[in-house]
Amino acid sequence: MAELILKTLTKVYSQAQSPAVDQLNLGVRDGEFIALLGPSGCGKSTTLRMVAGLESVTSGEIRIGNKLVNDLHPKDRGVGLAFENYALYPPLKVRDNLAFNLRAHGLGAKEINRRVDEIARTLQIQELLDLKPAVLSSGQKQRVNMARAMVRRPSVLLLDEPLSHLDARLRVELRTEIKRLHAEQRFTTIIVTHDQLEAMALADRIAVMNEGKLQQFDTPLEVFNHPANEFVAGFLGEPPMNIFRTVVADSGRLVIPDTDFALPITPAIQKLVGPRKELKLGIRPWGIRVSQTQTDAAVPGVVVVVEDLGDETRVGVRYGEVLIMSSIPITRRYRPGLPVFLNFNEEDLNLFDPTTGERLSDGSYQANQTAPETVSKNEIQAPVSR
Amino acid sequence: MTQSRSPLAKIGKGLQILLLLAYAVFALFPLLWMFIMSIKPDSQMLTTTFIFTPTLENYATVLHSDYMQFFFNNLIVSVAAVLVSLVVGVPAAYALARFQFKGKEDIAFTILSFRFAPEILVILPLYLIYQRLGLYDTYFGLIWVYQLITLPLLIWILRGFFEDISPDIEAAAQLDGYTWWQVFLRVLLPLVKPGLVAAGLLCFIFAWNSFTFPLLLSNNVQTSTVIALRYLASDTVHYGQVAAAAAISALPEVILALLIQKHLVRGLSFGAVKG
Amino acid sequence: MASIQLSGLTKFYGKRRGVEDVSLEVGDQEFLTVFGPAGAGKTTTLNLIAGIVTPDRGSIRIGDKTVDALEPADRNVAMVFESYALYPQFTVYQNMAFPLRSPKHRLPAAEVEQRVRHFAAMLKIDHLLDRQIQALSNGQRQRTALGRALVRRPDVFLMDEPLSHLDAKLRHSMRAELKEMRSQLGTTTIYVTHDYLEAMSLGDRVAVINQGRILQVGTPEEVYFRPATVEVAQLFGDPEINLIVAKIRNRQSTSVRVQALGEDWSFPITPEIGSALDKLPGDSVQLGFRPADVTVGVNGNSSLHGVVYSFEPLGTKSVLTIDSVAGQRVRALVDGHRTFQVDRRIEFSVPSAALIFFDPESTRYLVRSTRTEGGD
Repeated sequence: MAELILKTLTKVYSQAQSPAVDQLNLGVRDGEFIALLGPSGCGKSTTLRMVAGLESVTSGEIRIGNKLVNDLHPKDRGVGLAFENYALYPPLKVRDNLAFNLRAHGLGAKEINRRVDEIARTLQIQELLDLKPAVLSSGQKQRVNMARAMVRRPSVLLLDEPLSHLDARLRVELRTEIKRLHAEQRFTTIIVTHDQLEAMALADRIAVMNEGKLQQFDTPLEVFNHPANEFVAGFLGEPPMNIFRTVVADSGRLVIPDTDFALPITPAIQKLVGPRKELKLGIRPWGIRVSQTQTDAAVPGVVVVVEDLGDETRVGVRYGEVLIMSSIPITRRYRPGLPVFLNFNEEDLNLFDPTTGERLSDGSYQANQTAPETVSKNEIQAPVSR
Repeated sequence: MTQSRSPLAKIGKGLQILLLLAYAVFALFPLLWMFIMSIKPDSQMLTTTFIFTPTLENYATVLHSDYMQFFFNNLIVSVAAVLVSLVVGVPAAYALARFQFKGKEDIAFTILSFRFAPEILVILPLYLIYQRLGLYDTYFGLIWVYQLITLPLLIWILRGFFEDISPDIEAAAQLDGYTWWQVFLRVLLPLVKPGLVAAGLLCFIFAWNSFTFPLLLSNNVQTSTVIALRYLASDTVHYGQVAAAAAISALPEVILALLIQKHLVRGLSFGAVKG
Repeated sequence: MASIQLSGLTKFYGKRRGVEDVSLEVGDQEFLTVFGPAGAGKTTTLNLIAGIVTPDRGSIRIGDKTVDALEPADRNVAMVFESYALYPQFTVYQNMAFPLRSPKHRLPAAEVEQRVRHFAAMLKIDHLLDRQIQALSNGQRQRTALGRALVRRPDVFLMDEPLSHLDAKLRHSMRAELKEMRSQLGTTTIYVTHDYLEAMSLGDRVAVINQGRILQVGTPEEVYFRPATVEVAQLFGDPEINLIVAKIRNRQSTSVRVQALGEDWSFPITPEIGSALDKLPGDSVQLGFRPADVTVGVNGNSSLHGVVYSFEPLGTKSVLTIDSVAGQRVRALVDGHRTFQVDRRIEFSVPSAALIFFDPESTRYLVRSTRTEGGD
């Protein structure tokens, strides 16, 4: 186990294209669980493969436990990688699959058996040890795959979309297991995923990437509640954040032109808006309260969609091209056609620059784009003994 | 950063072009040689230098003989063979791609296996049968036997194309109010067109170049490939005339290939991988 | 406009069951969602109605005529395929106009143009009409496929997972838009999905299907709050419903004392629940409760105890997995602002109104408290 530092890590496949990974700075603390999150083609898998040594580095540094590993062979880096498609050796029994690279490293038979049994117990695959991979279910294969990555006690554990091929039920189950496993074992771990729920649930910190560039690197709740830019805001959260363009009107309100939407600009908002005439407003569906009483701060509208989803009700109000969805506790009160008032919770408002998409900030909040040496000392959840 | 690599990149690019050129010369040399021979007079035929008096005499001799008759014979049987293959092969390829039926893979493999055996292996029984049936030395006889060459090729290329089209598209068009035939003509055929063109052209080339079948299964209804033999007379070999005949013979293929080059590349790269 | 009636539809693919004995009635202008996991027989059902697949047994009526012997083209149904099934050689406009140029539904060119433009505008693809299909994003393809079905004004719409290939964000907004559009169309629709949110949001009623058989047909509220079987309960909700077996220790007229999750606890019951419990042959009952209904206490008066096994924040909500005294795990959905440390001892409780009672033998629904779902 060790800390991992990526310094201006860059990967260029071809001069004609923009870099697959562009000047990436990441500092992963010892025992920390990091998620690389982003859409396909954002560079997250390339980053993981560079750390594993499966992909050459164009420029920049990879340090594991303060040792530069840029030019080391994959087997000498002390990393364990669980492949997305499992990549188990089909002719070998599970036991031999797990022992394979321990044998390659010349461990004694006794020690190998001890370690295999130990990891099998941890991942609850003892009864699978004498089976061939072909007869395993996809969930079992994924457990074996992870066991194989962990059995050599790597300094850094790399997980490449470990849950993407599992059905929904199994995914939730294994997600919990991975989280628990990390709490117990505290491997320094990097998971690559495109599923924002997975990243949020598992990681101590999330690195959101897009088009090769790091967008934000912070704790899940920070990324969720204070997205650094419009991309991050839109990528995280389900249902998605309402993001729409508004104009600063002379009446001192933010309006969607040619509609009833008019939100009073409070002093706090005014400070962020500055001299801008236009900005993008972002608010999560839970940040909007729907009511039937008119107040000055409320935005009038007419319900066009109501979704009863069991645990919650979603109410949609349309303003021209913009459909604003709110999520409220389950109720039967609203029907399409009903006039309502939307109350926007000020703490949940996110303001973005309409051209750059950057979050408007008054300086009290700083996006955590830290250089690797100055990783902030966020508290990591530690297991407390019973 | 982009500047620092550019001299190296330029050298690489130059090398690439040079290699491709070398290969082009290597590949095209026989053609070039044939063309040069066709414009050499007989007397200078065996010189290995490139110095000679060019002449069109060989072409004149060939064109004034009945060679063109055989040229058209070849055109008739090859085009007809391709047309028959299209009429039979397109539905067959569709059926093999779409329907599940007993022995489907066996049938597909049997069709392909026609291409395994060398023609010479089956020519004797075929010859005897053709004599009996009166198919010997007829256009129809040649067109029929050419199916052995063209049909497997066409079916296997087109099958891949049909398999590439989602059955949903057919169902969608039927729900849109079209009968199955209209769906086939208006939706499916346009989608397999590149494959159709490529397969058709390949079939034509194979049929056109066919030698064994016309040599042994016909006499008067002879094709240009076989008739080139006549210039290898017992006394002398008229290399110039052979070359001229061959050059004329190659012309339709070259023209066709150039005309539909675009489809050909798309069709072959598609079908070849899939098939 | 038409109602649909399926009776005893059965289709086997060799030995594999597509659907078996599916009977359903869909009212005129009703929007029915067919919901089930992959391979449940949803698409087979749609293909049977469309006439793409012929049934082994059973019969289909659309409106007042039996359509069993009719070709797909003659059934006047429009379908949106999961794969979109757009014609790749055509532009968006040509794709949408294609049905209106067919012998069956031919319209004058001017009217074709007018209709295509009308629905393209409604679907917000009017700026894409001259694009080739290859140049479209997934979302745009999906809209085009929808548009091609809409222009026809068919008797029946069949939609096969139209949103499943969109990314999560787009799926949520398209779902809302589709729901908004629904009211403008008013055509009988059968919508197949494996996403329970889509099924509940869009459907007037939901037909839950698994392994080729229909498990329950009911309003979204019914299938969510009164699932016919344990299996149905498990299919709705994320994370999944908690299921425990409770031994009935002591039953009084207004409350019951049970042993479950390794502890004794009691809760009030209604007379309805009481009589349902009395009819049980044994002394155990299966209880289901949704993670969102679990209250994780701090005040010391909760009835159940456990240790935090895992804590997964999801933004607005977090999933808390609790090791109960008996070792069985219970999932709770808690507010996103709360945090829990792994291995911490905690207390929790389940409000009696949230409990769904199932027969432990047949796994069939018995009863739940009459609390109206959703308060008002």
